Amino acid sequence: MISANAVIPGSYDYLQVFLSVVIAISASYAALELAGQVTAAGGWARSVWLTGGAVAMGIGIWSMHFTGMLAFHLPVPVGYDWPTVLLSLLAAIISSVFALYVASRQKMGLVRALTCGAILGAGIAGVHYIGMAAMRLGAVCRFNPLLVTLSLGLAIAFSVFAFLLTFDLREETKGTPLRKIASAAVMGAAISGMHYTGMASVSFIPSTATPHISHTVSVSVLDSAGISTVTLIVLGVAILTSAVNRRFAAQALELQTLNEELERRVTERTRQHTAVNEELRKEILERQRANASLLEAQADLAHVTRALAMGELVAAIAHEVNQPLTAIVTYGSFCLRQLAGEAPNLQKLQEVIGEIVNDGTRASAVISRIRALLMKGTPERVELDINEIIQETVILMRHEVNRNRISLRTDLAPDLPRILGDSVQLQQVLINLITNSIDAMRTIADRPRELLIRSGKNPDGVLIQVRDSGRGLDPEQADRIFAPFFTTKPQGIGMGLSISRSIIESHGGRLWAEPGPNGALVQFTLPTNGTNVS
Amino acid sequence: MTQPASIVFVVDDDPSVRRAIKVLLESIGLAVELFGSAKEFLLGRPADRPGCLVLDIRLPGVSGLDFQRQLAEAKINIPIIFISAHGDVPMTVRAMKAGAIEFLTKPFRDQDLLDAVQVALERDRARRQREAEIATLRERFESLSPREREVVTMVVSGMLNKQTAAEIGTTENTVKVHRSRAMEKMQAQSLADLVKMIERLKMPPQAP
Repeated sequence: MISANAVIPGSYDYLQVFLSVVIAISASYAALELAGQVTAAGGWARSVWLTGGAVAMGIGIWSMHFTGMLAFHLPVPVGYDWPTVLLSLLAAIISSVFALYVASRQKMGLVRALTCGAILGAGIAGVHYIGMAAMRLGAVCRFNPLLVTLSLGLAIAFSVFAFLLTFDLREETKGTPLRKIASAAVMGAAISGMHYTGMASVSFIPSTATPHISHTVSVSVLDSAGISTVTLIVLGVAILTSAVNRRFAAQALELQTLNEELERRVTERTRQHTAVNEELRKEILERQRANASLLEAQADLAHVTRALAMGELVAAIAHEVNQPLTAIVTYGSFCLRQLAGEAPNLQKLQEVIGEIVNDGTRASAVISRIRALLMKGTPERVELDINEIIQETVILMRHEVNRNRISLRTDLAPDLPRILGDSVQLQQVLINLITNSIDAMRTIADRPRELLIRSGKNPDGVLIQVRDSGRGLDPEQADRIFAPFFTTKPQGIGMGLSISRSIIESHGGRLWAEPGPNGALVQFTLPTNGTNVS
Repeated sequence: MTQPASIVFVVDDDPSVRRAIKVLLESIGLAVELFGSAKEFLLGRPADRPGCLVLDIRLPGVSGLDFQRQLAEAKINIPIIFISAHGDVPMTVRAMKAGAIEFLTKPFRDQDLLDAVQVALERDRARRQREAEIATLRERFESLSPREREVVTMVVSGMLNKQTAAEIGTTENTVKVHRSRAMEKMQAQSLADLVKMIERLKMPPQAP
């Protein structure tokens, strides 16, 4: 056989070297591409991308090495132990899994890059040297330790560099394809450099020992071309898939952006509508409040007007009654003087006393006139449904009742016989009774303020009751309240009930009050149509 | 000096009140005349007689308070007693400030009205007396010759006869003659008397 100590001279098939470099660059590009996909994907898609990508990349790495090895031609037949070749392929895939996994992590510091780079570099060097170990030929491998170390160092350096580059380039937004290609070229060159340094570290010494060839296959140029082709196809498919996926992802992203924009607009619009709605609601509330205060102001005004009218009425009464009183007092004084004198002028006294009587009568007439005035005109007599009058009055008084937080209830008997009367006067009576009840309940705080108006049949005709939960009436008050000028109210003139009684009596009915401590009951009867109407 | 008998004018729109007041006032011997409004009073009032006015606040047409002002503007200086059915404090203050004798609320005590009427009549009498005196003095003063008036004015202001003579360009003796003749016409007993008379003439006629 061949001399033992001579180094077998090897030569390179440059086409295959070129092919191996192309594969290295393709694999690098695939690695950059796939790292981005693995990073972007989540869940099961991530595992699929990681596995598929690692397989493609592993094949790429292994194929690069194998092609590179095949590019090295020795003048002796070279066989390959296929289990070892498979092992190197496995090592390449495992390294790729590791590389992609690391490259797709969230963070990449220098320490991590160095550590992982060392591991990956060792893996790739492993792929290389395992691949070389698969060679079966009649020679012994001699390794140059310096170059082996260099190749290992290059592998590690390339890995660190690859990690940093990949990490930087994996984001979709960063890096143009051109930059990616440039990066891949640099990486591919580095891989190739590592590989060929490794190749250079070995020299083959012819050996007589029969190589162990039980699982050996020989690889022809055609086989090598096939491996390269398959590898490039695998890498191409991987890159294409990634690119398509990225396109889809970009579209999805665009869609998502559009969706978000739409959603943002919808939200904005909704917000605007909500704001407008809010504004409207506020305005409605404002208006309701204004309305309420307007009603209140009207009620207050009505109160003031009534109080003023009452004040004027009182002044008028005071003046009207005061005139005859002044005359009476003055005449009386004169009489006393006369009677105290020595010779009273009896004729003059008689005359003056006559004046006193006249003025007394006049004072009484003033009161009658005022009562007549308050009763407003001549009453008319028409057929009426008392329930209708009650309901109308309740509507009139509703605001005043609500304002004083009184719960008003009516209990009106159906099918009441109709009465003959003056609706305005009867309403006046009801308003007076309800107003009295409201005034009596104004100060009540320890029990509900309740006002009940009932109507029903009665032997005399119909009976209307107004019951409140106010201050109530003393038994002695119960009748006095109907006297003119008797009042229990600070602002009252004491005419209301007196006039009300006159009205009811002019209708042929009766008006009276029932005393009680927890509220008053004031009621009146009205004769039904055709009976007892005066 | 004798004056015609005093008369009480009563202005009230209420005939009963008017009549009652008349009965009361006549019972103490006063002459009383009744009017239903301020206008009636102005038309029917007898020419300047001493007396006083019992005036209601609330009157048809011009109110009592406005009538008080109108009378003052017309320089009719009759004392006023107000009677009112509803006198309030501002009204009373206004009336009293404008010179009312009394403000009585109806119905009033008879004695209060009688007292007020007495005070008013007395005041009117005194005023008339004063006015009559001043009128007499003015009449006498009017009877002085221009030169006598000049001399009196200077002497009263405290100038000596000599100074007065120098001032009007005459002799001291001539001044003395003018002065004594003026004092005679004015019926002044002394120089002090003359000074007082001239001072009274200077006073505003309505002051007390």
